[in-house]
Amino acid sequence: MNSLEILVQYWPRLLDGTLMTIKLTLMGALIAAAVSPMLALVRVHAAPMAQAPLRIYVSFMRGTPILAQLFLIFYGSGQFRPFLQEWGLWNFFRDPFNCALLAFALNSTAYQTEILRGGILGVPRGEIEAAKAIGLNRLKTLRRVVFPHAYRIAWPALGNEVILLMKASALASVVTVFDLMGRTRQVFSKTFDFSVYLWAALIYLCITAIFVLLWRQAERRLSRHTGARHTPQATAQPLKETRA
Amino acid sequence: MTAPDTIVKAEDIHKSFGTVEVLKGISLEARNHDVISILGSSGSGKSTFLRCLNFLETPTSGKVTVHGEEILVRNGKPQNARHIEAIRARLGMVFQQFNLWTHRTVLENVMEGPVQVKGESKAEARDRAEMLLRRVGLQERMQMYPAQLSGGQQQRVAIARALAMEPDAILFDEPTSALDPELVGEVLKVMQDLAAEGSTMIVVTHEMGFAREVSSEVVFLHEGRIAEQGPPEEMFTNPKTDEFRRFIAKAM
Repeated sequence: MNSLEILVQYWPRLLDGTLMTIKLTLMGALIAAAVSPMLALVRVHAAPMAQAPLRIYVSFMRGTPILAQLFLIFYGSGQFRPFLQEWGLWNFFRDPFNCALLAFALNSTAYQTEILRGGILGVPRGEIEAAKAIGLNRLKTLRRVVFPHAYRIAWPALGNEVILLMKASALASVVTVFDLMGRTRQVFSKTFDFSVYLWAALIYLCITAIFVLLWRQAERRLSRHTGARHTPQATAQPLKETRA
Repeated sequence: MTAPDTIVKAEDIHKSFGTVEVLKGISLEARNHDVISILGSSGSGKSTFLRCLNFLETPTSGKVTVHGEEILVRNGKPQNARHIEAIRARLGMVFQQFNLWTHRTVLENVMEGPVQVKGESKAEARDRAEMLLRRVGLQERMQMYPAQLSGGQQQRVAIARALAMEPDAILFDEPTSALDPELVGEVLKVMQDLAAEGSTMIVVTHEMGFAREVSSEVVFLHEGRIAEQGPPEEMFTNPKTDEFRRFIAKAM
């Protein structure tokens, strides 16, 4: 079988895996995006003692391999099965997809929190003062002034984080989630033709490329006030440690 | 005793940063149509005092009354802090560095307060914003972003933004100090027009000409206290304290 025949024969499985990879990444990133603004505010404003648990969480998530985190949740939940059953949580942890989603969401939350914290710290002080001086309350100051700036500043790094998460999501295949990598391994174990891995790599590359294009469009919109000459940085900047 | 036309009243304002006492008990009263210029060398506490009036700095102790809303501060704690936003909405503020919201257009900057704080309809806010921007000579620039404007234009937008709230008084914190010399005039002109129309203004400034020609009262701060206070013509022709005499000799 040549490599094209592999694709012709197995594309439905690869497509299925691709959709799973996208679903896993998007859901993980969106859950993290919903939680991280609050946590970032705590990191910026709370007293050092109050944010100690958050700092420990963040350094744990950033300082340990994401594969270890995934195993902790997937195998760990098995150990605590009676306990989880009692609490009615076993149905959630029984599904490897949920375990992977939880691991990725927790991991990405830590990264996004730190990225947003940097963004919030970069908001011009004077503009916050102007918001206060005109009588805007705290919530509106955050919504109208702080977060629009913070997201613009954090945007490239957030895009980078989503790409890293998408690549890390291949690890879900290790705990029997049939994402793109899982499907690819399945096809390989049938055909013993390594070219299926090439196709998989190509599909990952396509997802990333499309994502980068969309992200840059959004960045242009977010930055339109800084003048027409502004050209956004490539989304892959700034460099960050890779995960495995 | 507070006169019926008193707009802003500050009583015995103290402010310390750590162990340094920057304000050592300042009282000031602005009545309707007053234009008060606050002078003083750098470090005299004049900007800090102005920022205490709308609680961008919280005084260590003292009392601020704006249009009947009263906030008493003891040990750095405002006693009725929920009045702070109400006081801020009644006092416009113009900053040295303009502090326009750079992610919003000129028009949006001016509409923000009326819509978000006062809950006005967008149409209503837009009408007044357009009127005010015409008044400060920026009708052509309404759809631009602040980064596309000169410093003088940005400061005129900032004044329009303050006026859009229809404030009882406007605080100016060295409004021309960050401007290129050739742009100072256009901002002073707008402020002069405001004064002529009867706006109540409290202005921290280094512009001796403005203090002398436009203001109704001059306050000279020295080392955290009011060293001298009075009508400008009298103060400038016949300074009573050595500090003020030296200050105007250096400035002129």
